[in-house]
Amino acid sequence: MPAYRRFVSTLRSLFRKTALDSELDRELQSHVEMLTEEKVSAGMTKTEARRAALLELGGMAQVKEEVRARRLGATLDTWLQDIRYAFRTLRNNLGFTVVALLILSLGIGATTSLFSTIHSVLLRGVPFEQPERLVIGQKTIEGRASWVSRVDYYDFHELNQSFEQLAAMTDFTVQRTVTGGPRPELVQVGYVTWNVFPALRVLPVAGRGFTRDDEVDGANQFVVISYGYWQSRFGGATQAIGSTLPLDGVPRTVIGVLPPDFRFLIDADAWSLVDRNGPFDLRRDSHSHIVIGRLKPGVTFAQAQQEVSTIARGLADEYPVTNTGKGMRLTRMQSFMVRSVRTSLLLLLATSVLVLIVACANVAGLMLARSEQRRTEMAMRAALGAARKRLVRQLLTESVILTVTAGMLGVGLAYAMQGVSAQLLPTGELGIERPAINALALGFALFVAVTTGLLIGVIPALRGTNLQPGQQLRSGKHATIGMRSARLRSGLVVLQVATTVVLLIGSGLLIRSFAELSSVELGFDDHNLITGQLQIQGTTYPTPEEQRQFYSSLLQEVETIPGVVSATLSSKLPIRARWQDWPVYPVDEPPATDLEAPMAMVRWVSPGYFRTMGIPLTGGRDFSVTDVDGAAYVTILSERAVQRVFLDEDPIGQAVRIGWDERNYYVIGVAADARINTLDGAPDAAAYMSTTQVGATRLQIAVRTTIDPAQLVSPIEDLLQRKDPHAVFSWPATMESVVDDELAGPRIITVSLSLFSGLALLLAAIGLYGVLAYHVGQRINEFGIRLAMGASAANLLGMVLRRGLLLVAIGLLVGIAAAYPGTLLIRQLLFETQTLDIASYVAAAVFLGFVGAVACLLPAWRATRVDVVEVLRIE
Amino acid sequence: MAAGKADLLRGTLDMLILKTLTLQPMHGLGISRRIEQVTEGAFTVKPGSLFPALQRLEQEGWIKGAWGESENNRRAKYYQLTKAGRRRLGEEKKNWTQVVLAITRVLEAT
Repeated sequence: MPAYRRFVSTLRSLFRKTALDSELDRELQSHVEMLTEEKVSAGMTKTEARRAALLELGGMAQVKEEVRARRLGATLDTWLQDIRYAFRTLRNNLGFTVVALLILSLGIGATTSLFSTIHSVLLRGVPFEQPERLVIGQKTIEGRASWVSRVDYYDFHELNQSFEQLAAMTDFTVQRTVTGGPRPELVQVGYVTWNVFPALRVLPVAGRGFTRDDEVDGANQFVVISYGYWQSRFGGATQAIGSTLPLDGVPRTVIGVLPPDFRFLIDADAWSLVDRNGPFDLRRDSHSHIVIGRLKPGVTFAQAQQEVSTIARGLADEYPVTNTGKGMRLTRMQSFMVRSVRTSLLLLLATSVLVLIVACANVAGLMLARSEQRRTEMAMRAALGAARKRLVRQLLTESVILTVTAGMLGVGLAYAMQGVSAQLLPTGELGIERPAINALALGFALFVAVTTGLLIGVIPALRGTNLQPGQQLRSGKHATIGMRSARLRSGLVVLQVATTVVLLIGSGLLIRSFAELSSVELGFDDHNLITGQLQIQGTTYPTPEEQRQFYSSLLQEVETIPGVVSATLSSKLPIRARWQDWPVYPVDEPPATDLEAPMAMVRWVSPGYFRTMGIPLTGGRDFSVTDVDGAAYVTILSERAVQRVFLDEDPIGQAVRIGWDERNYYVIGVAADARINTLDGAPDAAAYMSTTQVGATRLQIAVRTTIDPAQLVSPIEDLLQRKDPHAVFSWPATMESVVDDELAGPRIITVSLSLFSGLALLLAAIGLYGVLAYHVGQRINEFGIRLAMGASAANLLGMVLRRGLLLVAIGLLVGIAAAYPGTLLIRQLLFETQTLDIASYVAAAVFLGFVGAVACLLPAWRATRVDVVEVLRIE
Repeated sequence: MAAGKADLLRGTLDMLILKTLTLQPMHGLGISRRIEQVTEGAFTVKPGSLFPALQRLEQEGWIKGAWGESENNRRAKYYQLTKAGRRRLGEEKKNWTQVVLAITRVLEAT
């Protein structure tokens, strides 16, 4: 029979059930009448005939039932019946339903929300063509992955056979000033080899991209601009192509515009070619690039890795001084983009799954209790002929309806939280562009809902229907409550407590770690400090002398602004700007290779920097205005640098070489260690040099204030505007906010995990309360008798509490045992906190014990309030 | 096994009903009386199996029911063989012959 007919028949039997039934009625009626007539003709009396006819039919109702069961869609009909019945029972137990829905929807909602985030962040492809063939290459030294030298890159580029394109770019931007507009503005410039965009298969929306010839010509004269910058500076006009864009006074020609959705590693306004003449990595031991490769079709990732390793070994043989021990590590682009957030997101997903487990155990406990109460109902239905299979199906239908409804509420919740979670959760460099809740997330939620429904329903359903109707009905309300059921519910509580302990310990560790991180000794004073980026034009101040004069007079004028204590300059202020670690070594002890030289972060600072920043000088003197260009070049080392370079000998007066500068620098002072690079790393060794001995157009300014530092932004801007309208003061931020931004990521993880743990704790407490309350309810008669026999209220309280606390204790032990392997997973998120941190374990145990005790107390107290007379009368 | 027996009977009943209806449209009682007559009482078709079978055959599209007048001016549901039903009967007959042949061979094998 054609499928459509079957379908139509099925629909007909579903929706025209009453019509079909009444037709069947009439048919059977006429059948009986005809039979009767037949029998009357055979000589029976009318009454006899009718009786005989009905007998022959063998029960009108039975025949009808047979026919109905034979109809197509009969199964579906039974389902609908089950569903209607389930809704009715759930509605009749509104209290249970609401509590269960609340618990489950929180669990499912949290899991779905995280799943969708993880799906959009971790699983979403890189937004380029054939992303599976894109890889990122990084240099490795002793297993540590880092930037690649451009000079090395060219060798990899020439020698490899595996890549369709092997390109390189800086994964940072350089700020350049663009003049010629109404106001000079700072733009972010990224540096790429010509084939970065072809490797990514990104085509310009206007103009053209770079070509190999642009690079070979060597003239660094073209720029490709971002869509956003095209709009903001050129209003999206096509005349932009071919027009001139002066970068730091050097004219560049705009040749193309990238697509609006192009986003890759850095937010650059303009892209310039890094060519063989610069501006970065003129040597093999200077590393500023990351390598982007597109594998040739048919070349596997492993083959490509093998080839680049071979090339790296070849380079090491050829250039032992710079390349010994240097490797090249390939990473699939997808994993590279999410490397920083993967652990956090997976941790959160695992957490939400644990919360879901607690929620499931909780509701399973509720359902189990309810199925005990419904044994009489089930026995009645069994006695009336319902098969056990049918009863189990009925109960499972109920639990699945419960969880699917909860799932819908949960998705609603996740949807409502979507905006919040997109902001709260770490999203990595790919970001989230689309709404996070998509069909897949919905499918996931449905899957979770149905699975949990079956999971929490199956045991109560099997236990609740495993009965002898006769016995059950005879014993009436005081049905024997299986000890096994009580044990099962206790087991569920233990599961909840144990899971909660794991979560509590995990959040305890993260909270400790966060506390460590936020109370880290900065080594400088971040209060009342406003910072910003300064840029002057090389065209206005062509000589270093003019540049120095501008900056020193600027500092003097800033210091006259009311509320300002002092002002200082630095090439890179702490935390705000990073890296630039150079080799530093005593002049008379040059290292065999640069790799063996002690490294230190180099910073150029103005005299008074240490005082303004609050970094103590522990020896020697500060830079002074008399340390001019041409005089002896001077440096101040941090204590750690002294340790590394001079092995703690007195460094004052010693001469050192810094980086690749051919000059000697004489150590004039020692500064205390400070976290000038990152918050979570140890204080780095630092070598400070004086801005009075070099020229610079771009410096960062830090101003120490007596008033709210944010109030000084506009006075400084005004001052600069008056002094030089072409100078730019940008990205002002208080040092406190700079430090605080660093804490945002860890804070989110800590807060989320704490929230989840709190939720689990609440659920576990409810579960514990439920089991004990039920327990007390079952033993209420016994308690009454005990009271009547002279037991004190304290005795009873103790009895109940003991039972509850026993469950808590078992759960605690199991949880603590499970927590240790669990915490190993978050080890890499921890900052200066041991995974076996005793305080976190103890705190979790105490906290949970306390909440557990409170949850036990109420049922225990009720046990002591039993009305003896009432109980005895019932007995 | 009980299920196997029921299936065989049901299958046979379907064929008998379809065959009976090749003569003319009939109502349920007519069909069962006709089968009784032809088999000389070897098969009696109980309403408990007749009506579910009719229901199924109608849903499969092999027969079609319509209300009509009986010999004694009673309203009764008359079933009529459809084209598909006729084809189905042919297949069933062929099947049956094969089964009978096969069984006979087994029984007569020495």
